[in-house]
Amino acid sequence: MKREDGLLTKRFDKLLIANRGEIAMRILRACHELGIKTVAVYSDADRNAPHVRYADEAYHIGAPPARESYLVIEKILDIAKRSGAEAIHPGYGFLAERAVFAQACVDNDIVFVGPPARAIDIMGDKQEARQTVKAAGVPIVPGTEPGLNDEEMIAAAAEIGFPVLVKAVAGGGGKGMRPVHRAEDLPDAIAGARREALSAFGDDVVYLEKMITEARHIEIQLLADAHGNAVYLGERECSLQRRHQKLIEEAPSFVVDEDLRQRMGAVAVAAAKAVNYVNAGTIEFLVDKDKNFYFLEMNTRLQVEHPVTELVTGIDIAQEMLRVARGRKLRFSQEDIQIKGWAIECRINAEDPYNNYLPSTGTITTMRLPTGPGVRVDTGVFPGYEITPYYDSMISKLICYGETRGEAVLRMRRALEEYRIMGVKTNIPFHQIMVESHRFLTGQFDTSFVETRFSMEEGEGESHDLEAAIFAALAAHRQGQQASQIVARGARDTSNWKWYSRWERLRK
Amino acid sequence: MKYYTKVNNQEYEIEIDHEHEITVNGEKYVIDFQQLPDAGLASLLINNQSLEAVVEDQDESWEVLMMGKLYTVKVQDERTYRLALARGLSADSGEGEVKAPMPGIIIAVPAVVGNVVKQGDKVIILESMKMENELRAPRDGIITQVKVTTGASVEKDQVLIVISDPETGD
Repeated sequence: MKREDGLLTKRFDKLLIANRGEIAMRILRACHELGIKTVAVYSDADRNAPHVRYADEAYHIGAPPARESYLVIEKILDIAKRSGAEAIHPGYGFLAERAVFAQACVDNDIVFVGPPARAIDIMGDKQEARQTVKAAGVPIVPGTEPGLNDEEMIAAAAEIGFPVLVKAVAGGGGKGMRPVHRAEDLPDAIAGARREALSAFGDDVVYLEKMITEARHIEIQLLADAHGNAVYLGERECSLQRRHQKLIEEAPSFVVDEDLRQRMGAVAVAAAKAVNYVNAGTIEFLVDKDKNFYFLEMNTRLQVEHPVTELVTGIDIAQEMLRVARGRKLRFSQEDIQIKGWAIECRINAEDPYNNYLPSTGTITTMRLPTGPGVRVDTGVFPGYEITPYYDSMISKLICYGETRGEAVLRMRRALEEYRIMGVKTNIPFHQIMVESHRFLTGQFDTSFVETRFSMEEGEGESHDLEAAIFAALAAHRQGQQASQIVARGARDTSNWKWYSRWERLRK
Repeated sequence: MKYYTKVNNQEYEIEIDHEHEITVNGEKYVIDFQQLPDAGLASLLINNQSLEAVVEDQDESWEVLMMGKLYTVKVQDERTYRLALARGLSADSGEGEVKAPMPGIIIAVPAVVGNVVKQGDKVIILESMKMENELRAPRDGIITQVKVTTGASVEKDQVLIVISDPETGD
C-alpha cells in the first residue's frame, strides 16, 4: 500500500539497519526472529562492532563522524539498492525523525519502518504539532500565542493563573526564559525576556506558558497499523533525567492509576490519529501534582526505553514494527493489552558521576554482564571496544523485571552489583545510590530531582576500602613475584612460557 | 613482604606473611587469592568472606572494581615507600594539572592566570560527545598557567591548566 502522505507498506525479506550500537542489535534480533535478512552499515570506527558481526551483510559507509556516515541519506539509499534491501529501519537518533529521509525511502520504493513522512513533519514542528493535537482535543500546556503585546499578555496571565513562564519564540538553553510567580513581577519579566532574546537571537517575540511545578515526565507508547487501528501499551515514567537526558525509566508509573492510564491512552491515540500515524510512536506528557496532564511532544520512532514496556505487556515492539511495516493488521485490540508486573531500566553511560558526569572515553578492558532471573541487558559494546567521542555515551541498557516494583528494585540492585566493566568510568555508582535512595523507593521525584536535590555524597553507602587495598596489594605482590622470576630469553634454557606454566603448577 | 597502600585517603600497611595469611595494620586475616584466567578478574576469600573484583594495573596505581564501585589504590612496596619518604615526595604530586579527559573543543575558559581557585571550581568548559562538559579544579591553589584559549581543539590528556600551591609554588 502506498499513501499520499508518504507511507509505503509491503512484504519485505531483507532490511537495512541505518544505525549502530545497541539499537542496531535490537533490530537485528527482531529481524532474525522473523526470518528477515539483515544489512548493516558501519563507519570506520565500527568495523568490529557487534551489529556488523551479527548482520547477514555489512557495508562500509564512511568516516567516523556521523555527518560523513550514518547521516548521509544518499549513501544509505545507495547501499539499500546495491544490497537489495527492500526496507530500512532507522532506529533512534541519526535519520529516524527526518521526514526527507522517510520520503526518500518511499520515493525509491523502499519501505521505511516508521510513520508516514507527513506525520514526522507535523510532529517535528513544535507549533504545528501543538495546534494539530489541540484541534483533536489533546490538552496542551495553557499559554498564549506568540506575538501579543505586553498588555495582552498581562491580561492573559490572569486567566492562565500563576506561576507562568515567559518564553522567547527563538529561545533555547534557558535564554529568554523567565519564571514569574506574582502578577506584579510580570511587566519587568516580559521586558527582561525580550531584551535577553533580542541580544541572544535577534528576535524579541515572546509568549506565556503556564509553569507546571513538580512535574513528572510520563509518556504513552502507541502502536498503529496501516488499517486504521491504534492501541496504547500503557505508560512509562521517565522523570529521572539530567540535562533532559533520561537516566532511569520504569513501567508502569507510581502515579498513574487505571483511570488516568485510560484517559491518557485515549488522548494519545487521538493525537496519533490526528496525523494518520502508523507504526510505533510515543506521546510525551507532563503530569502535574493534581494529575492534570499536558501534551509535550510526539516521538515518531522506536524509543531507547521501549524494553520496559515490552516486559510489562509481553509485546515485542521491535517485531511489531516490522509486521506493521509489512502491511499486517495489529494482532491485538486494546482489551487484549494487560499490564503485568513492573520493569525498570537504568541507562549505563560512559561518564563519571563523581566528576560532574564528564563523559569518559577509552577502551573497555573487561566486561561481564549481569544475568539471571528478571535481568535483560541490551548492549552494542564488548571488551576491546573503544568508546570514541563520535557517538553518544550510552554503553548499554540494564532492564530488570519483577512481579512488583519492590522485586524489580531488588533485582536492579543485585544486577548493578554484578555488572563488571573496566577501562572507562560509568554511571553505575549513580544508579546504585539512586535505587537505594528513599525518594526513589517511595516514588517521590519529579523532572528536577536529579539536578536539584540529588547528590552522590549523601547516598554514599558502605565503602570497602580495606578489601580494595587487599586486592591491589595481592595483585601487586603476585605481579612482582612473576616479574622477578621471568628472565630474559637465553638466560634460561627453556622458554618463558614453559617456565611460567611450571611455575603456575608449582604454586598450586 | 610489606606493602603500603592508600585508597580514598585511608592508609593500610599490608604484610603478606605467606600465601594464605596477611596482616593489615596489625590484624591478621586468613585469605585465599585467585586470579582467574579471564583478564583482570580476581576472587578473594577473606576469613571465608567471598569477594570478586576486576583488578587492573594502571601507571601509578591499581584500579579495583568491586560491587559496582571503582577504587583507585596506590600500592608501594617497602623499598619504594622508603625511597619516596627519603626524597620527601608527597603521594599527591602532579594533581595540579587539569587535563582534557577526551578530545574536544574549548568553549570557555573561566580560569585566569593569578586567580586563586578552590577545589571544584569551574576552570574550563570543553565540548565533546555533543555535550558541554565542565572541568573543575582538582585542588585549591593559584592558577599559574592557562595553555588554551576559547575555540581551541584539544587532544585527550593534553594539559590545559596548571594550578600551583600558593606556599611552595609547586
